[in-house]
Amino acid sequence: MVVELDMVILTLVMICAVGAIWVKDLLGAAILFGAYSFMLCLLWAIMGAVDVAFTEASVGAGVSTVFMVAAVFRTSRRTKD
Amino acid sequence: MIWQTIMTVLTVALILGGLLFFTGGTVGILRFPDFYTRQHAAGKLETLGLMMVALALALANLHHFTIPEILTSVKILLILFFIFLASPTATHAIVDAGLRAGMQHWRKPHRKER
Amino acid sequence: MKKLALILVLLCWGFLAFAAADFPRLGDPNSPASTHLSPYFIEKAYEDTATPNIVTAVLADYRSYDTMFETTVVFAAGVACFLLLRFYHFSEPPSHLYRHKPSGTVIQVPRGYRLKGEHTELEPIDRDWAPKDPIVEVASRILIPFIQIFALYVVVHGHHSPGGGFQGGVILGASLVLLAISRDLRTAQATLGESKNSILSALGVLIYVGVGAVTLALGSNFLDYAALAGLMGVDQVIARNLGILFVEVGVAVAVMATMFLIYRNVASAGALDEGL
Repeated sequence: MVVELDMVILTLVMICAVGAIWVKDLLGAAILFGAYSFMLCLLWAIMGAVDVAFTEASVGAGVSTVFMVAAVFRTSRRTKD
Repeated sequence: MIWQTIMTVLTVALILGGLLFFTGGTVGILRFPDFYTRQHAAGKLETLGLMMVALALALANLHHFTIPEILTSVKILLILFFIFLASPTATHAIVDAGLRAGMQHWRKPHRKER
Repeated sequence: MKKLALILVLLCWGFLAFAAADFPRLGDPNSPASTHLSPYFIEKAYEDTATPNIVTAVLADYRSYDTMFETTVVFAAGVACFLLLRFYHFSEPPSHLYRHKPSGTVIQVPRGYRLKGEHTELEPIDRDWAPKDPIVEVASRILIPFIQIFALYVVVHGHHSPGGGFQGGVILGASLVLLAISRDLRTAQATLGESKNSILSALGVLIYVGVGAVTLALGSNFLDYAALAGLMGVDQVIARNLGILFVEVGVAVAVMATMFLIYRNVASAGALDEGL
């Protein structure tokens, strides 16, 4: 596959991962984590691991984001640290 | 042969148009002043851009009009249909939630009031 | 504390990077995985199980124990959420709200009091209740059946295309979560009650282990589906194919129920009354 595309998506994965830790707003962190999962899904689809990509898209980008948003909804939106 | 050329031209034109709308949506998200206008740019332009790109992919897939290729194109068209259904609904729900949360909409700032 | 965590993470990263140097290169033809394992699966998977998708064959047949305990881990996560949220930190809300449907009036009943008798015109509502949005409701009503049909397709078609029990189960659970988000948690709970939900999530694991127990009872190894051939009257290859299907159905049921169990407990903080 195209190496440049790999690199661009890998960079986006790292930006999303660092951003999800950095951001003070927990709701924003949850959405960034969803974006991270989706980029990882793209990366796996490019590498040819379609089953893993499918799992990542449904679990990581779909359901776990919803769980995190629900947890933020029930707790506080700001981190303490 | 002539069909192939027409298809290619159509595909490229649709992808270019889709990219244009994507660019417009991104610029809108970055430049518009408040929540509602940003949602407007994101919702409308991304949906249209995605539809054009998906349509281009469905066309580009049809090389020889065999049954498997047509089936794949129909699947892409189905994806397009669900995007067309889900994306505006999501935009509507988000704007509705913003209205309920009391997001202020943008007003043109008057020079005299400052 | 944060500095200590950073140091620990960097230390772990250092160890991982140090160990990763010993890995064979990506796609190295001389690595043990490429010389022993991959050729066997690529050549024999279809002969053994009649399953074109090698990933499914490996996950649900050759590495069945892995998938069984993966399902158990998902189930354990659901049980942990249930135990943490459902029994502890549980406090009744300060008041219950009821809405009189014909007039739209909202009645507040303080904590400790209950309405007497049956009231068909009153419906319990959330504290952050919003009027029903017809657009979202109709769109979700159109989308949910398609999502569920697609989930069943993913479960059953896992032999031939990417997918399988886990993905299909997650999509099924997501359709229930979509119902809970687009209406409210009460509607989704009326669709799938709590006891039924818990039983389903245990039943999925039971189906998986049950297939293994049946093969054990037939005098073969645990989860060796070829033993099912005599029971179903087919040859061993088809028996392994069908064994994969049974197991996938078990995984799908377990994952679907567990996803919704986690969602309903997290979204309502264990009270199961009102949620996102």
